[in-house]
Amino acid sequence: MKKLTSLFLSLLIVTGFTGCTQNNAQQNSDSGNNNSAKIGDVSVFYYTYSDTYISSVRSAMDKELKDAGLKYQNYDANGNQTTQTEQVQTAIAKGASVLAVNIVDTGSNDAAQNIVNLAKAKNIPVIFFNRSVDESVIKSYDKCLMVGTDYEMAGHMQGEMIGNYLVDNYNSVDLNGDGKISYVMFKGQEGNLEAIARTQYGVEDADKILTQAGKPELLFYDEANQNRYLVDQDGTWSSAAATDYMGTILAQYSENSNNMVELVIANNDEMALGAIAALQAAGYNNGTGKTIPVFGVDATQAAQARIADGTMTGTIKQDAEGMADALVDVTENFIEGDSVFDGIDEENIVGNWRINIPYEKYTG
Amino acid sequence: MNKKNNKNSDILLRMENIDKNFPGVKALDGVLLTVRKGTVHALMGENGAGKSTLMKCLFGVYAKDGGKIFLEGREVSFRNSKEALENGVAMVHQELNQALKRSVMENMWLGRFPKVARFLPFTSEKKMYDETKKLLSELHINVDPRTVMAKMPVSQRQMVEIAKAVSYDSKIIVFDEPTSSLTETEVEHLFRIINMLRDRGCGIIYISHKMEEILRISDEVTVMRDGKHIATKSAKEITMDEIIRLMVGRELTNRYPEKAHEIGEEWLKVEGLTAEYTRLNDVSFTARKGEILGVAGLDGSGRTELLENIFGISARRSGKITLDGKEARNRNARESIRNGFALLTEERRATGIFGILDILENTSISSLDRYRTGLFLSKKKMRESTKWSIEAMRIKTPNQETKIRSLSGGNQQKVILGRWLLTEPEVLLLDEPTRGIDVGAKYEIYQLILDLAAKGKTVIMVSSEMPELLGVCDRIIVMSGGRKAGEVDAKTATQEEIMTLAAKYA
Amino acid sequence: MSDNSIMPQGKFSAFRELPGKDRKRILTDALFNNAMYIIIAFAIIFITIRVPAFLSLSSVVNIISLTASKLPIALGIAGCIVLTGTDISAGRAVGLTACVSASLLQIAGYPNKMFPDLGVMPLWAVFLIVIAIGAVVGLVNGFFVAKFKLHPFIVTLSTQLIIFGTILMYLMIGTNNGQTLSGLDESYTDFIRGTLFTIGGVAVPKYILYSLIITILMWIIWNKTKFGKNMFAVGSNEEAANVSGVNVFLTIVSVFILAGIMYGITGFIEGARIASSSASTGINYESDAIAACVIGGVSFVGGTGKISGVVIGVFLLQIIFVGLNFLSVSANMLYIIKGAIILAACAVDMRKYLARK
Repeated sequence: MKKLTSLFLSLLIVTGFTGCTQNNAQQNSDSGNNNSAKIGDVSVFYYTYSDTYISSVRSAMDKELKDAGLKYQNYDANGNQTTQTEQVQTAIAKGASVLAVNIVDTGSNDAAQNIVNLAKAKNIPVIFFNRSVDESVIKSYDKCLMVGTDYEMAGHMQGEMIGNYLVDNYNSVDLNGDGKISYVMFKGQEGNLEAIARTQYGVEDADKILTQAGKPELLFYDEANQNRYLVDQDGTWSSAAATDYMGTILAQYSENSNNMVELVIANNDEMALGAIAALQAAGYNNGTGKTIPVFGVDATQAAQARIADGTMTGTIKQDAEGMADALVDVTENFIEGDSVFDGIDEENIVGNWRINIPYEKYTG
Repeated sequence: MNKKNNKNSDILLRMENIDKNFPGVKALDGVLLTVRKGTVHALMGENGAGKSTLMKCLFGVYAKDGGKIFLEGREVSFRNSKEALENGVAMVHQELNQALKRSVMENMWLGRFPKVARFLPFTSEKKMYDETKKLLSELHINVDPRTVMAKMPVSQRQMVEIAKAVSYDSKIIVFDEPTSSLTETEVEHLFRIINMLRDRGCGIIYISHKMEEILRISDEVTVMRDGKHIATKSAKEITMDEIIRLMVGRELTNRYPEKAHEIGEEWLKVEGLTAEYTRLNDVSFTARKGEILGVAGLDGSGRTELLENIFGISARRSGKITLDGKEARNRNARESIRNGFALLTEERRATGIFGILDILENTSISSLDRYRTGLFLSKKKMRESTKWSIEAMRIKTPNQETKIRSLSGGNQQKVILGRWLLTEPEVLLLDEPTRGIDVGAKYEIYQLILDLAAKGKTVIMVSSEMPELLGVCDRIIVMSGGRKAGEVDAKTATQEEIMTLAAKYA
Repeated sequence: MSDNSIMPQGKFSAFRELPGKDRKRILTDALFNNAMYIIIAFAIIFITIRVPAFLSLSSVVNIISLTASKLPIALGIAGCIVLTGTDISAGRAVGLTACVSASLLQIAGYPNKMFPDLGVMPLWAVFLIVIAIGAVVGLVNGFFVAKFKLHPFIVTLSTQLIIFGTILMYLMIGTNNGQTLSGLDESYTDFIRGTLFTIGGVAVPKYILYSLIITILMWIIWNKTKFGKNMFAVGSNEEAANVSGVNVFLTIVSVFILAGIMYGITGFIEGARIASSSASTGINYESDAIAACVIGGVSFVGGTGKISGVVIGVFLLQIIFVGLNFLSVSANMLYIIKGAIILAACAVDMRKYLARK
């Protein structure tokens, strides 16, 4: 028995290590020809592998980097800034050629500035992507750049989309015919710039369009709630949180009591899908019968499928491939010493420090 | 120092009319205790008589409901044992509460680690070591201060505890059952220490069930019964029988019950038993049906290891066990139980009871298969068996749902004995079955053991109390240094004979 | 929860004759021993006065549904806590089994189907697969705890990471690219969240029934089987259990396997209930489950706990969640109240194990 156990343990350790080496081997063979004097990996730091949209960016990046013949190494911070900063230090120590950072902490500048300082000391270019970093941080280092989206844009576009949809379908959405639309807003996380912007503009911009069309502004379903949103307690933008909230709302607000929630706005598609699950349990959004309009952001494949079968109304597409494309372009420019913005669409360049990948509305 | 030379001047501690009520019970009723300077005062009484409660009131573990406590004429009321310690009142507990994973010296200085310098927050290992070393050698305790507690036998841990109490320069030291885990030589050692403390002018309160010890060591004896003070007498004027009579409130003619069992054919055979990791080496013996076989020896002589090895809970290198002509391999406890063995362990709290479970669960755990009806266990059958056990063992408990830890030590021991009887064993291995149990309950346990033998069970009993072995057993094997040193007939053997054998390989 | 120290009715006169101090003590004891029931009662009364709809049929069904969905995982973890352990891999195990369930039960022809050629597997087969996955997770946890005497916290901390990596790899299969798994076959969603029956116009989802069955099964396992008795014995005193002939190794491994099976079931239910499973599914589920157990009196002291306590614990957490939403209290408050309740519950619980002074 004892021998068996030790055999088992050694096997476990061996498989663990061979697993790693296999990965390395794969990456080494990916590296192909060395195209510049700069040796070292392009180090890509993702804030978390759990995020569906980030996963799309990651697979697009992996493909683009491979196609470009660049050696690269991915890191998962698992939603922890400390982890990420340590990973950056490790990568720098290992001799990374370029750092592509999907920063975890967007609530303050400190984390991003810290990473910039680390890179600056070794003269390694840093490209932040997806999650926004402040202009002052980017401009503090000449080899630093932001490839993102106009983080406020998603919210603006979502609001605009909702406003237009409501103007066109006002009476059918207004289930109780009181002339007002009551809505619920699901926020993904507290203290996240994108979540804050989406929560704000998703409603504000819709209100603008409604007011122009002579309609009253949107009404939060629960007048006593000062926040005017419900937030995922764990900050994971998760569908389960939205399901539990929506189920609880539907237990109190219904068509029978004439106070049904008539519109669902969510910071991302996961939460939109979660809300739909609860709506379906209550007999809505089943494709037949009544459908409560539900709006998300990201245009994940699951959301696209929902929109196709009519159980979800609209989402905002973040272009994962476009982002990966721009990122790899800039990376190559840095490595080869070309002008940084070589090959980037000019209208997407903002103030010489930032590239914005445009959003698109997606309604099927 | 005033030299009034009045009689009260040598009174160290006086507890007057102490009352303590628990819901529905008057635990202490006007108890009186006076301890004089330079004397050993024995506090006696059956379990539940109120000795521990009285001590807990002294140390502030319980708040007394009435009465006064004077220490050197000054009224005191300690809020906790730390305060008591600071005022020179220390206690050596029966149940050792030590940090087992830490060293001797750390345990000794726990709560008052010496510092490197007065204003520096660093503890001084060196000071700690030196002081401990000095103290231990003063008391002739041969232990390295750096030894980790868990690596020492219970008896040595007990000595450390005693040294700790002494180290506080205490005026009053309470010993609660200090010899329950000590061997004869260690008891002698302890008595030397106590005599030394007495000569220094300390007042010793000595709680014990062992009559011989009490009469040897103490100057005065206070007997308690049912929470009341019964009598305080000079040890010179009192006899053992009188103490027992005062304690139980009736005459106890015999300390050991009459033997009425018959010894049958040869039943259990152990050949060349050698342990893998302990010092148990090449032990062989036989035992007959209906025989009570005693195992004597010093602490660490391999008595406990012998039982544990037969029962299969410690690794065996070689040896053969045969029961009724068939080999019993006993590789683990389950197999041993199936083969008809049962083991009552030495350390009841650590390896015997399930403290937070109730009597029913504690009783039925080893015989769960009996209560199966189909897939499930029948609570009814379990209740019946537990009822049988409570009646047969004469366990004093309000009901079956009482948590076992709220019972007295003797009753806990009976519950565990009941647990084993329900497995219908052929061979009972009993390791110190009467440790920490009061006189009345001891007698009942002896009776139970004799009854079992009368029913044809083989009983193997380890004990460090030689009179007990001589009084209860038929035959005694003596262990020494992990080996069998010899075998004596309990009817004819003397304590001296056993002691000589016990020292053979030690 | 209810303890035998509460005075029996018939002895009321005897109770009145007791001295005042004792009477007060018996009353406070009764109060503390039933603290959870009292808190729940007060919470319900308070919320209902403020928002009467809290006790409406649909609201009650919602609270019960939420409780039902969170019960199996808590029942699983409870066993580990009885052994004085814990299991922090539970949430990830739920995530993995939810993803596996969803991926195997996507509509045939769904544009982003993970296994395009698979069709729709029969429900029972998928159910067995996820239960097996859960059991394997439990087996690994239990084996390392029992064999190497490692603390369950360390073991499950490790397996939790291994499971997470597995989820991430699993979600990369085929063309899925880490995407959310959705587009579930109706046979699956209907089996889980379809209507069991309708009461007063409110649909009661089927998973309530499953949760009820599981709770009853667990009650039987805990109270009526040899395994259950052995579990409590090992949790109470492992050494004594060994001497008493309990197979300690097998008991520990079985408790963890049973817990793993519960996570599998939770994953199977969550996969359809939420209808979109991703790498973040199941995160932190274990912390609520552990909190519920502790609130319900399944103590880290080991060897004690009741199924009814776990149910009460889960129920109370859901009452707080729903109630504060009904009261329109900000989420920030929810954290504070939850924390305070867990702390209070543990303190009340420990009180039972401390020596009286």
